[in-house]
Parts: sequence; C-alpha cells; structure tokens
Amino acid sequence: MRPVLVGGVGYRLLRDYSAGVVVTDRLEQRRWPDHVRVQDLSFNPVAVAQQLQDDMAYEPDLLVVFVSAAARGRRPGAVTSYRWDGGLPSPDRVQAAVAEAVTGVIALDNTLIVARQFDGLPEDVAVVEIEPKVESFGEALSPEVDEGLDEVVRMVQTIALDPSVVRSLPLAPLGGGALPRVGHP
Amino acid sequence: MCFKNLPIEFDADGRPHLRGGIANPYEPSTATAPVGAPVQLSQSQIEELLAKNGHIRSVDFDPVTRVAGALAFHSVVDTEERKVLEARSMATLFRGYEVIMVGRDPRDAIYITSRACGVCGGVHAATAAMATEMAIGCRPPPLGVLIRNIALALEFLYDHPLHLFLLAGPDYSTNLVEQTNPSIVDRARKTEAPNAEIHGYRTIGDMMDDMNPLSGALYLEALHMTRVAREAYVLICGKYPHPQTMVPGGMSSTIDRTVMNEMLTRLTQFFDYSKKAALFWDDLTEFFYEVDPRYRKVGSRRASMVDTGIFDDPDAYDATYEYAGQWGDRRWATPGAIVDGELVTTDLHTINIGLEEFVEHSYYDEWAGNGKEARYPTDPTGKPLSPYHPWNKITKPRPQGQNWREKYTWDTAPRWDRNAMEAGAYSRLWSTAVAQKLPDNPFIESTGTSLKMRIPKGALPETEIEWRVPTDWNAFERNRGRAYCIGFTAMVAMNNWLQAMEHMKDGNTKTSTKFEIPKRGERIGVGFWGAGRGYLTHHLLLDRGAVSNYQIITPSTWNASPTDRWGQPGPYEEAVMNTPILEESTQKEGFMGIDVLRAIRSFDPCMPCTTHIHNGDNVITREINTCACGVD
Repeated sequence: MRPVLVGGVGYRLLRDYSAGVVVTDRLEQRRWPDHVRVQDLSFNPVAVAQQLQDDMAYEPDLLVVFVSAAARGRRPGAVTSYRWDGGLPSPDRVQAAVAEAVTGVIALDNTLIVARQFDGLPEDVAVVEIEPKVESFGEALSPEVDEGLDEVVRMVQTIALDPSVVRSLPLAPLGGGALPRVGHP
Repeated sequence: MCFKNLPIEFDADGRPHLRGGIANPYEPSTATAPVGAPVQLSQSQIEELLAKNGHIRSVDFDPVTRVAGALAFHSVVDTEERKVLEARSMATLFRGYEVIMVGRDPRDAIYITSRACGVCGGVHAATAAMATEMAIGCRPPPLGVLIRNIALALEFLYDHPLHLFLLAGPDYSTNLVEQTNPSIVDRARKTEAPNAEIHGYRTIGDMMDDMNPLSGALYLEALHMTRVAREAYVLICGKYPHPQTMVPGGMSSTIDRTVMNEMLTRLTQFFDYSKKAALFWDDLTEFFYEVDPRYRKVGSRRASMVDTGIFDDPDAYDATYEYAGQWGDRRWATPGAIVDGELVTTDLHTINIGLEEFVEHSYYDEWAGNGKEARYPTDPTGKPLSPYHPWNKITKPRPQGQNWREKYTWDTAPRWDRNAMEAGAYSRLWSTAVAQKLPDNPFIESTGTSLKMRIPKGALPETEIEWRVPTDWNAFERNRGRAYCIGFTAMVAMNNWLQAMEHMKDGNTKTSTKFEIPKRGERIGVGFWGAGRGYLTHHLLLDRGAVSNYQIITPSTWNASPTDRWGQPGPYEEAVMNTPILEESTQKEGFMGIDVLRAIRSFDPCMPCTTHIHNGDNVITREINTCACGVD
C-alpha cells in the first residue's frame, strides 16, 4: 500500500487554531495499518520541508495529508478537503512565508508554501481544513469547530486507509479555491 | 565613576551608594536627560512642518498582526532634504509572560518563557533556569555548565546565518538593489571582491546575486546551516526551539561520547562557514562605504549598548548573586555597559543596579513615583536599586488608544544609567574585545581593540579573522559584527566541547544537581544570560515556593523601546532618525524605504512583523520578519 503521512498543523492551547494538533492527538490513539503514520507537524516549516525531503528519498510515492484550521471566511466549522495543486504565490509572498517560518510562525499556508518551494512535498498532497471561529488562549474549541472535527477525522481516515481516494478530491489552490466543499469526496 | 545620570556614587573601595542630600534620588521628574542624548521633535513642531511643506510626509510601517508579536513604525520624512524627522517604534501586541508567571512554580518558567520566542526559546529556558537556581541556591556541576554553554552556542549558530542571509541579507541582494539603487548593481559587477579566495566570489555583483531570496546560493546555504545547528542542538536539548532538558542546576541530558562526537561533526561544519561569512560581510560593507560614504550613516546612532555576558566558566559560576561580579568576569563573552563607545563597566552588579524601566509612552500604568517606597531599595548585597528596577516593577497593563504625545507601544523603555542602550550579538563582541578578560585558549584572543579568532582548518585552511571595534556605528557594522559572531560562537563552543571531553575523561559525567523548591520565605534571583540578539535577563521573586514577580527584558525590549520621559528616543527610533534616504527615487510610486528598513533590520528585530509601508494611498510592501521573541 502507498505510504501515507497524516500531519497536523497548528498551535496548542490556541482554541480553534489548535484543531490540527487536536486531530493528530486523536488519530495517534488509533491503531493504523503499516502504511499510515501520524505526526504532529506543528514545527518550523523549513524543518518540516527538510524532514519530508528525507522521507521522500525512501518513499517516493508518499502521500501527505495535512490537517489544520485555516481562516478562509467560510462558515465556522466548515470542512474543506482538496488535493493541493501546488501553485505558489508571488516570490515576495514566498519569501514572507520563509521569514515567518524560520522565526517561529506555524500555519498551514506557510508550511505548504515553504515545503513546496524547497522541494519538500510529493506530487500528491491532500489538505483537510476546518474554518475556525475563535482565536484566543485556551483548550476549548468553539461548538462549531468541535462539531466539525468528527467530519475532519472521518475524512482523514478515509484518505489514509485508501490513498487512492486522493485522486477523487478536487484539485484546488491553497484554501480550496472557489470551493468550499463539505463532506466526503 | 561609571554612572553619570543615576544618583549613585562609589566610595573609595568601589562600593556604590546613593548620593547624599537628595530627598527623592530616583524621582525621574527631577532628573535631567542624559548628556548628549538626541531628542525627538515635539508633536506641535511636527504638525507645523507637515502643514507647511508638501515634501514632508508621514511614512508608516504598519503591521499585519499574526499569531505572534508585531513591530510597527511611524516616521515623518523630509523627501527634499532626504532625512527622517520623527520616528516612533510600536510594539503592537501585549504578551504578558510576566502576568502569566505569577503564582506558578518557578520550574514552569523554563517551559513557559521559552515560548516567548520561535527562534531562541533555549535562551529563555536557560535564563529562567539560572534565575531559579540563584533563588533556591543550586550550583550546577561543571559538565552541566559546559553543556548548557554548548547548547546555547548552537542556538546562536542557527540564529546568525538565518538573520544574515534570510532576513537582512535580501536587502543587499541584486533583486532588491536593482530596484532601489540600480547604479550600485552596475558598479558591483565591476568591483572585485578582496576576499574572493576565502568566500569564493570574484565580484561584489556575484555576491549580491547569491543573496537573492529563495534562489541565491547563500540563501539556500543558510537554510541548510540552520538544519546543521538544529540537529546538533536537539542532541542535547531534545527538541528545537523549546528545549526539554534545561533544569535549575544544569541539564537533564545524558551526555556520552557518542553524543559529543555527533555534535562535533556538526559543529565543525561551521568552521569554514564562519570564515566565509565574516569575510563576505567585510567585502560587502566596505563596498557600500566606497560607493557612497553616506552609507556609514544608515542606522547610525551612539555606540551605547549593554550586555550581560554569556557562556560560564564552570569553575567560577556558583549561581549566587553575591559573586556574580566574579563569575561574570570569567565568562567567554564578557558582560559590559558601553556608553558612547566607551566600556564603562563589566561588573554584573553594576550593570544590574544601573537598570530601570519606564512606561510613560507604554500601555502600562506606573507602579513607582509619587513617593511610593520601593519593595527592594537595595540588591541582595546592599547596593542601591531604583524603584524602576525590574525587581521593584509591577506589570500593570492598560490598553488604550494610540497617541504620540502619550502612549503608543506595548514595549517599555529600559534604560541603563538613563541612557537608551541597544542590545545585539555585536555588543558581546565589543565588550569582550575591549575588556581583555578571556582565559587562555587556542582559538580566541581579546586585544583591547579587537577580537582575533583562529578558525581551524576545514576544507579551507586554518584562518585568522579579526573583528575590530568599529569607528562608525551603523546598520552595516551591526551586520558585520553578527557575521563575526558566527566564528566567535563556534570557537566558544569548541573550547567548551574540549573542556567537556576532559571532564568526561576524568569521570565527571554528572550534568545536574538535585534541588528542591523551598516552600518558606521570600527568595530573589536573576538570570543574566544572552539571546542570539544579545542581552537577556529574567528577574524573579519567589514567595513560599511560588513566583510572586517575574520580569523579562529581551534584546528587543531595549532596541524597540519608545521615547522616554526625557524625550530621548529608543534605539530603533534614533537609528532611523539618523538615516539618510539614499534610495535613488523618493517618488511615491516605487519608493521602498530601503534605507530605513536596513536600519531597523540591522538590529535583528525580535518580533515577527509583516510590515507594510503606508505612504498615503500608496502601499508599498516589505516585510520585517524575524524571530518571535517578545518585546514584553
């Protein structure tokens, strides 16, 4: 089976913006087949890129599934999943992402941009996002995000257990483009 | 007599005491501004100039707030005279570590304060551990001290390349300079680089090409070097940037020869890199000076800086405040207060008692003044302390609207002997070079006017590089100093690595001392350490085993500080006010403000700040992104 890395991205104790790591925590508790591994990728995106470069040297057909909260102006708790088209923004924006990355800012977009810029992503990258509502210190998710999280977990599980599902996800730019889509592909 | 502005005198034995005959000696309203300090124009003067002259306009560097902190900058620029008339530095977020820490077990400080920074978490963890070990009386074993030194040196080896080539470097790249000063790029292509033999670039133009962001070889090499340093760091700290092995009384890491050797293979990769980086920035700096001597004025200010020193001698460091003067002097980087280019003290007690923090222009309420008695009128050795000293400070946040006459930042205004001091990696070079207190060692020599570093052979031959105390103090010298700090730091790490191996050979493998947090009485401590960007202190009070006061002063607390009660601007503000506008076009369309940005960025501003320049209706975007270390 094709190897799959499920990676959560987010900050701990930042309410809805912790969704990525909350999902990772939940998924790590489960028993997974050998081709799936779950990792908290909430660290310096340059280091994420460097780790993935190494991973891909051994697993050239690796599929990476990123899970994170990302504010896109959708309904709070809305879940969007897509296959990232890998399109990068302007060089200025990429440089801004690198600068943020090396100085400690952890977010889905700069992780994807930095990893793609430095050849740290495989061809297939699936993204499962949830729209956050609350950004403040604390453990509690908003009711909307808490409710949406089950959907996120189901979606990630579906892709991880059958990596061929990724091909049926819509190919879209960062944020899912003109989508959003909710639910299974 | 090192204090010129504080009401402190020294007796014949060199002990400080309050000057007699003054009713309220620390009352700042009665004190005079430091001699020679620049002063901001008044708001009414600025408003009059703006109203009368079309060529004078506001240029704001306005942040887009992210999860971490932010720096913003307001300035008024005379585009005809090509100079900055007013500059105001704003920290736009309240971090509140001082508030979060109250009531907690002091051990929490190691993990909580580490989160102040996304680059240099380890230095906060170490400083918190040191403040705690001083408060509870716990001396680390020699190997614990040495490994802590190495860990933090490795953190700096992550930090310096990052700043030089990923954050500040692009400002000097072909891609950028051909937009702001195209004539410089033409000249660079025709100018041979004097140190080509070491760094490998035939012309300055070749160097600038490889500084291009995202694709330049130097940019990509720096990214790689951050990985090398990070790998070495996690061998002893568990993870980066927030270490898991810093404890009061040393390090909890298990250190064996395998770890030491794996660390060494990474450390040695910095030998050649440090030679190239230093001589590269030498060539770049001298080229810009030659092109236009006014570049010596970009980011210039008085050479007034403060540093607490770093990298302890395990035979001297006893974790006490009483002997801080002695163990401070034995550090690999000598503590120092430098005023107008003169090293006035290396004594940690004197540095500590000279410290005050003011909030006239900050979003905080006063905690002192009006005759209120200080909680600690003296330090633990009986030397006088200001009511505005961190041990006496109470953090009282008061959010409110922005007003240049009153409050405009979340940063405070720390002052030493009431001088606006800056902090930086270069400050430790300066005090170490002048003080001549380095122990005998094979790699670093302090000459009184310079630091010589003998960097061992790698692919390049053994090379001596020499950082000289500069005659001009400006943006270029800050970057040059930071480049030499790579070599300095690598050689400090090497000295400590050799000492650690000797201790291990002798069977001294203990890295920490057992401790308990006393549950009775009040205790006081301070961590004197340093970040990649310079000065760092954590002042701590414990009451029955819990934190009752915790005060952090970071390098950016100094550098981004606002104008103080005497009208004396903070270091960023002063440096920007002294910066000539050398960008070739000052038309609204296409104006990038590169000279101002170079001035600010040369301090390695310690806040992630996506910063836009707002120039009326024309928004010109450049980012001043850097580490997430808080200004508060």
